[in-house]
Amino acid sequence: MSYLLHLLIFFQIYAVVAMSLNLLIGYGGLLQVAHAAYFGVGAYTAALLWTKLGVGFIPGLLGAALMSSLLSLLVSLSAWRFRGDYFVMISLAVQVVLYSLMYNFMDITNGPYGITAIPKPVIMDSIFATQEATFAIYVVIVGMLAFILAAAKLSPFGLSLQAMRDDELAARSLGIPVRRLKVEAFMLASAMVGVAGGLYASYISYIDPTSFTLDESILMLSMVIVGGTGNVRGPLVGAAVLIAIPELLRFLSLPDTVAAHIRLLAYGLLLILMMHWRPQGLAGRYRFE
Amino acid sequence: MQILFNGLIQGALFALMGLAFSLVYSTTGVLHMALGAIYALAPYILLTALHIGLGWGVGLILAVGVAVFVGIFCEEVLHWPFLRRNAPAEVHLIGSLGMFLVLVQAIAILWGSDVQVLHNGVDAVYGYGDLRLTRGQMFSGFGVLIIIGAFFLWLQRTELGLQFRAMADNPTLLSLLGRDVRKLRRFVFGMSAGLAAFVALGSSYDTGFDPHGGLEAVLIGVVATIVGGRGSLAGAVLVGLLLGVIRSEVVWFTSARWEQAATFTILALVLFFRPQGLFGRTLRLEEKS
Repeated sequence: MSYLLHLLIFFQIYAVVAMSLNLLIGYGGLLQVAHAAYFGVGAYTAALLWTKLGVGFIPGLLGAALMSSLLSLLVSLSAWRFRGDYFVMISLAVQVVLYSLMYNFMDITNGPYGITAIPKPVIMDSIFATQEATFAIYVVIVGMLAFILAAAKLSPFGLSLQAMRDDELAARSLGIPVRRLKVEAFMLASAMVGVAGGLYASYISYIDPTSFTLDESILMLSMVIVGGTGNVRGPLVGAAVLIAIPELLRFLSLPDTVAAHIRLLAYGLLLILMMHWRPQGLAGRYRFE
Repeated sequence: MQILFNGLIQGALFALMGLAFSLVYSTTGVLHMALGAIYALAPYILLTALHIGLGWGVGLILAVGVAVFVGIFCEEVLHWPFLRRNAPAEVHLIGSLGMFLVLVQAIAILWGSDVQVLHNGVDAVYGYGDLRLTRGQMFSGFGVLIIIGAFFLWLQRTELGLQFRAMADNPTLLSLLGRDVRKLRRFVFGMSAGLAAFVALGSSYDTGFDPHGGLEAVLIGVVATIVGGRGSLAGAVLVGLLLGVIRSEVVWFTSARWEQAATFTILALVLFFRPQGLFGRTLRLEEKS
């Protein structure tokens, strides 16, 4: 039972990640590979706020959202000028730089040793220490985030984002403020993934930079790609499938050192296969044209 | 002076990496992420060849040969089918990222993730005045000079070089004129992989290598390509050289942790002030896309 709950909690966290990335890729047409870095920024901000400053659980998550969305300017300002190839490359650079900051800022992030003893969620003096309690509180938080994202996608904001994706020039000519839209989309998506990072940190109770590498970004990307872009259920399917794969691999009882590599290898293979046969994903609506 | 020289050698290798990446990008428009995996693969082939006692000469040829093969494999499996389907740049990129992941993880499974070295003990040192250069540095420095010289001669003087430049300009027209674009593309992917393999061997002779070093190499290639300017091979080479010098100065005056940040700052500054790159020409509107 606790195993199943563990998987469900992971699914919740990655559902937020995939949905927020889908806001950028599926709705905005902005392919970016720095999502794990923002996940990490959120995780670190929340963890540091909780452990060093003793801030409460919810304010810590809000801090994580704020920090991630502030740093998202790194990517979004460059998206003003660039689309397509160049933009992806810039987000790749941002991923590498943010990772190297996490790794090298010993004074703040404790470098490769990471941050330990991150507290469990505490809301109004009640500690959510058991797995069931964590699951319950995460359901509430993730539900709220999903609601915000779904609402944003149906709102004029989401519609103009899709218009921009399909034809940026036409969107501009209709008076849609494309630049502001990009900044807002990135801020929203990064804030969401920042909160997801905080949830992750609190659940795992230990973080180090290796959880936020480019490989991880590619994993997030494959969730969206495999599940499908441009609608709400696609990323959920993708997150579920990609969380299920390593668990299935577990039954092969491979040695630990190989298993981690096999897992990533499977993700890579999945990406290639999807690009060959189903570029719009398992349950997607939008495909790159 | 010594630092400048070390930087120049490092820069020469970066220049070749920039050329390798830019070669594929300028002719086919593919962001060849899998090049990083090829970069990571080459030293392992050499290492294995040395282990079974084939000697340096055969090992070098074998390493470059395998790299070329893998490069062409990427084209055959990913980019040619995608091109046939008229897939957008994003599909190429995601496929290439998937390939990168698959290859790197395969390397890690086959050879383990630990840092390996090609030779033990101190390398032979040659001195001239105050300068000290190791044999590895000499080898890679001169090798790069010869290769780059030969490449540009080939590009300007031969029939194949001419076709090559024509393909960079307009592949459709080239195939209409009866030239075999597919063969040419294979050639480009193979050559780029061979160059990357040479860079990998040169730099891993000095510092050792592990499966994950390819990412940084690709990042260098990307930055050199973008900063050098769209479609400017010489630009990529010069910027690679410059990057090597700047990075070694940065390491000398601050610390190794800011190497990445320095690279990225250069990219950001250039993109801000000269989005077409240092040596690129601005494209007319109808040329874009």
